[in-house]
Amino acid sequence: MRGHHAGPAGSFASAPGQLRGRALQALRLLRPLLRRYRWRLTVGLAALIGVDFLQLLVPRFIKRAVDSLSAGTATNPLLARLAGAVVALALVVAGCRFVWRTLILGFSRLVERDIREWLFGHLLTLDRLFFGRHPVGATMALATNDLAAVQLAAGMGVVAAVDAVVMTIAAFCFMLYIHPLLALLTLTPMPFLALTTKVLSARVHQRFHKVQEQFSRMTEFARSTFAFIPLYKAFTQEEAQGARFGKLGEEYVRDNLRLATVQGILFPASGLVGNLSLLIVVVYGGRLTVTGAISTGDFVAFLSYLLMLTWPMMALGWVFNLFQRGVIALERINEVLAARPALPEPVATGPASLAGAIILRNLTFTYPGQGQPALREVSVEFGQGITGIVGRTGAGKSTLCQLIARLYPVADGMLLMGGRDANTLPVAALRERIAYVPQEVTVFSDTIAANIALGNPAASQEAIERVARTAAIHEEILAMPQGYQTRVGEKGVRLSGGQRQRLALARALLLDRPVLIIDDGLAAVDLETEQHIVLALREYLAGRTCLIVSHRLAPLQYADRILVFDNGRLVAAGTHAELLAQNRFYATIYAFQRMEEATGEAGHAAA
Amino acid sequence: MQPHDFGYFEEGHLAGGRELRLWRRLIGFAGPYWPWVLVAVLLSFAVTGATLAIPYLVRLAVDHYIVNRTLPIADRLGGLLQMAALFAVVAFGGFGANFFQVKVLERTGQSIMQQVRQRLFRHLLRLDLAFFQDQPTGKLVTRVTNDIQNLYEMFTSVIVTVFNDALTFVGILAMLFWLNWRLALLMLCLLPLLLLHTFWFSRLARDAFRAIRTGLARINAFLQEALSGVTVLQLFGREADARAKFAAVNEEYLADTLRQIRIFGVFMPAVDLLNSLGIAGVIWFGGHEIMAGRMTIGVLVAFLSYLRLFFQPLRELSQKSSVIQSALASGERIFELLDRESAMPLAARPKTVVSVRGAISFAGVTFGYDPAKPVLREISFEVAPGETVALVGATGAGKSTVINLLERFHDPQVGAVRLDGIDLREFEPTALREQIGLIMQEVFVVPGTLRDNILLGREVEAARLAEVVEEAQLGGLVAQLPGGLDARIGEGGVGLAAGQRQLLAFARVLARDPCILVLDEATANIDSETEIMVDRAIAATMAGRTCIVIAHRLSTVRRAHRIVVLDHGRIVEQGTHQELLAQQGFYAHLHALQFNNGGGAQQAKGE
Repeated sequence: MRGHHAGPAGSFASAPGQLRGRALQALRLLRPLLRRYRWRLTVGLAALIGVDFLQLLVPRFIKRAVDSLSAGTATNPLLARLAGAVVALALVVAGCRFVWRTLILGFSRLVERDIREWLFGHLLTLDRLFFGRHPVGATMALATNDLAAVQLAAGMGVVAAVDAVVMTIAAFCFMLYIHPLLALLTLTPMPFLALTTKVLSARVHQRFHKVQEQFSRMTEFARSTFAFIPLYKAFTQEEAQGARFGKLGEEYVRDNLRLATVQGILFPASGLVGNLSLLIVVVYGGRLTVTGAISTGDFVAFLSYLLMLTWPMMALGWVFNLFQRGVIALERINEVLAARPALPEPVATGPASLAGAIILRNLTFTYPGQGQPALREVSVEFGQGITGIVGRTGAGKSTLCQLIARLYPVADGMLLMGGRDANTLPVAALRERIAYVPQEVTVFSDTIAANIALGNPAASQEAIERVARTAAIHEEILAMPQGYQTRVGEKGVRLSGGQRQRLALARALLLDRPVLIIDDGLAAVDLETEQHIVLALREYLAGRTCLIVSHRLAPLQYADRILVFDNGRLVAAGTHAELLAQNRFYATIYAFQRMEEATGEAGHAAA
Repeated sequence: MQPHDFGYFEEGHLAGGRELRLWRRLIGFAGPYWPWVLVAVLLSFAVTGATLAIPYLVRLAVDHYIVNRTLPIADRLGGLLQMAALFAVVAFGGFGANFFQVKVLERTGQSIMQQVRQRLFRHLLRLDLAFFQDQPTGKLVTRVTNDIQNLYEMFTSVIVTVFNDALTFVGILAMLFWLNWRLALLMLCLLPLLLLHTFWFSRLARDAFRAIRTGLARINAFLQEALSGVTVLQLFGREADARAKFAAVNEEYLADTLRQIRIFGVFMPAVDLLNSLGIAGVIWFGGHEIMAGRMTIGVLVAFLSYLRLFFQPLRELSQKSSVIQSALASGERIFELLDRESAMPLAARPKTVVSVRGAISFAGVTFGYDPAKPVLREISFEVAPGETVALVGATGAGKSTVINLLERFHDPQVGAVRLDGIDLREFEPTALREQIGLIMQEVFVVPGTLRDNILLGREVEAARLAEVVEEAQLGGLVAQLPGGLDARIGEGGVGLAAGQRQLLAFARVLARDPCILVLDEATANIDSETEIMVDRAIAATMAGRTCIVIAHRLSTVRRAHRIVVLDHGRIVEQGTHQELLAQQGFYAHLHALQFNNGGGAQQAKGE
């Protein structure tokens, strides 16, 4: 079915080169799992092989029945015995099948669970550089689509492979036993089947991939149309857009038809090849029977073995593809598991005192893959009190905050904390001193109280309410249906941008850490409230260090000091009044401030 | 795995009575394609016929030639070769029929779906905007993509295979009865067991699959949230906690998958067990019949082959029933949308020709998206042809709503909006919108070249187009793009920066040359160079048109002839910049707060 495809996920495409080595490395991932589940696997495989051999006995019973019937020596008790044997055998086979299904398919699911857990645990240790390269969607696909391919290979793939090999060998042995030449002749069409399947499956895979791509293109087209529907209507594009969608749809139909051509050959091909083998048996086996070289019973048993062979032969091509996809998926997963955070992880050298100023010394930082540095030779010291940071978008404000929070690596000697180079200090210990409010707030599907208490789940209700008040969101929370127990996130109440940011602020305040960084984290809060918050923070922050990035200057007049950034450089520093009087750049930004917010806030003030 | 579903995970629940009506409508879709459907059905007769003929031919070969000792050996061998030739013809014929059946089905199914998809998409585009405001975009996208895909699965893979299977089933039964009705009756005893098994199993399997899909959706949701917020989790030191939560979700999924494995572990071998019961019956009772002289050995062999074919479809039945269920649910959701009428009534005789003077008037307009909560209250103002009016006010003051009414995305509950003195409700909506150029902060890009994107389906002389490009300040971009105006942009082409997209929007309006311009000024941060270009493009686009501008920048406000100040859905002031400043009212207050606070005025004026 269409949905069951594990396509290459965005940035995790594997290059065909150096495939061998990477594949081996990826397969090494499975070693501990094989060890952990070795008994389950051993018993499961034994049951599977048992089923194959037991099944091969059925044609023997049929042969005896047919032979005795054609020789006229059959008796009712003999027939009843043979029929009884078939049923008894079937019961044992059913039991064994249950065993291998539970054990081997269960194994594949256990492997899936283990790798998924492993992968997630590892992802949690990776840094922004990694997540910058690998979008969330693609990473998620690893934990679902790619893992599904691995699971399929480890479960049905293993079963089909073992089954095919055992059945082929065994059935072929029986056939050889009956008549070697007939056996060899019968098998002549089989390699063609395996080959056709292998070649065409690759083609199917490739064309299927195109179909999927076109499907996503259609999906994205529909999404953007619906998302911007007022614009399309304003430009009277309804008809034209319908025609464009129609064109995409036609291409989709065409891609599907191309796929169907291959599938239309592939699937009936196995039937055809099976029939050709049957034809050989009928012609040559029939001749042998007629001339008395083999018995009629042998002839019938031969037919039964042949039927048994068709499926494993078909399966071989399929299994090959399954394993191939599984290994590629495993390689992609392995690539992530092998990724290491770029931040140095020095061994903890005892409890270092990290108190004291955060010092930047000639800090220059360039994001990987970008030519221009985001920060250039910034030297500044952050002590106690509030420091405001302003500048245009792209001036480097946010980069500065993220470097201090150790989200990206810095070169040695550029960032000092507690008098020591940050690169010599464990990241976890540094982060324990910093509370961070990002611009893009993540709200987790849980209650408001739990979201605020994210960093300190044991916090008392009083403590939670206290920080909510400081963040000026307490009243709004009380107004919600279940107050602090209101569920938010995906399936709960949707918070406005301003509410989310204040929630994030409350969350950070509850951590009660010596350094607070608000990385443009109040942009969606209205001006008046932001001013209240900054004033409230002044009290809360006694003895703490606080950095506030804001694109609005008015609230920053309460900051102890304001740093002005432009194009990655620190261009001015001083109080609000000083900067207004002395710095033309600052005053210009001030003048450029958007009317929108100012008018809005004044409106509320006047109301 | 799950196709991308935008988080809208829906399961089908259908009331029994509606199912029949639903089927009728679904089959109605196939109506225009009946000749092709007929061809597919005929081909499926051929395929089934070939499938059934082969065991019969083997039987003939065995009975007439292989074991028939009454004929001389040469005749037996000769006859065998004749049978073989017939056999080969049937086998290749079946293969060919199968191939064409796949192709015909694919073409038919895809064409039907393309038609449904087009109908649905075009229908949706015609619906009013209130509809789109109620519906999450992801849901609509799912309708035109995944739901259609579900229908397709049913049309091709299910309807026809079910048809094939049913045909095979009936054919086999007929064949069995014809060969030996007593043995056939015995086989029929298996049928109730089979039906019971199928019924029970498909229910259990459906529930199991549903649980698995839900579990996977939960894993996806968790990953989406955790990976998007991974930085927060790291900064707050919540890694262990997140890991534990994920382990719980993962474990639950594992339990669901293991349950599915157990269900399949019981039921799949049970089919084989039933098959073996059949074989035993054939050996015992069939042997008895042969001894009594009522049956030949060839018939016994044929019985054994048919038995295998008999059981084949049953293995896939449960899967098919779940496909049908989900397709029916999808069908119902699609019809629900198709049955939805636009809530915006058309005038009895809509005016299609619009005067080009461009006088706008809002007369006593009251409007709310929810009529109980008016967003605009008793708004009255007029814009003379060629005049520029700036709308100023806070977020939520109602500025965008004014534009929505002017574009006739909605109709006012009280009062009227008029163009050249004619109520907007009397116009044909597209004819009206042709007269209005709308520039919003978002800019859509259609697949195609830059030229396609400027013209959006219009014909404009090359010379005029060149002017448009210059006026919209796109000259630089065109010169720089490989292929100039013919360069592909958007997906699969050159990506445009935010500023360039803005300029594109101006070019579109210039190319359409409407008498009215509605401009929602961009607040996106653009560099100063682009800002200058945008300023020039604005000037060029506004020239000679009636303009309504939602202004965010002082320079734009100043360019307006008149300013309308909105607050909480009411007009609180209107007049020129100078008049309003002189009034010392609301606008003056805003202006002071924004531009005169603490000495920034000089710089602002010197801008």
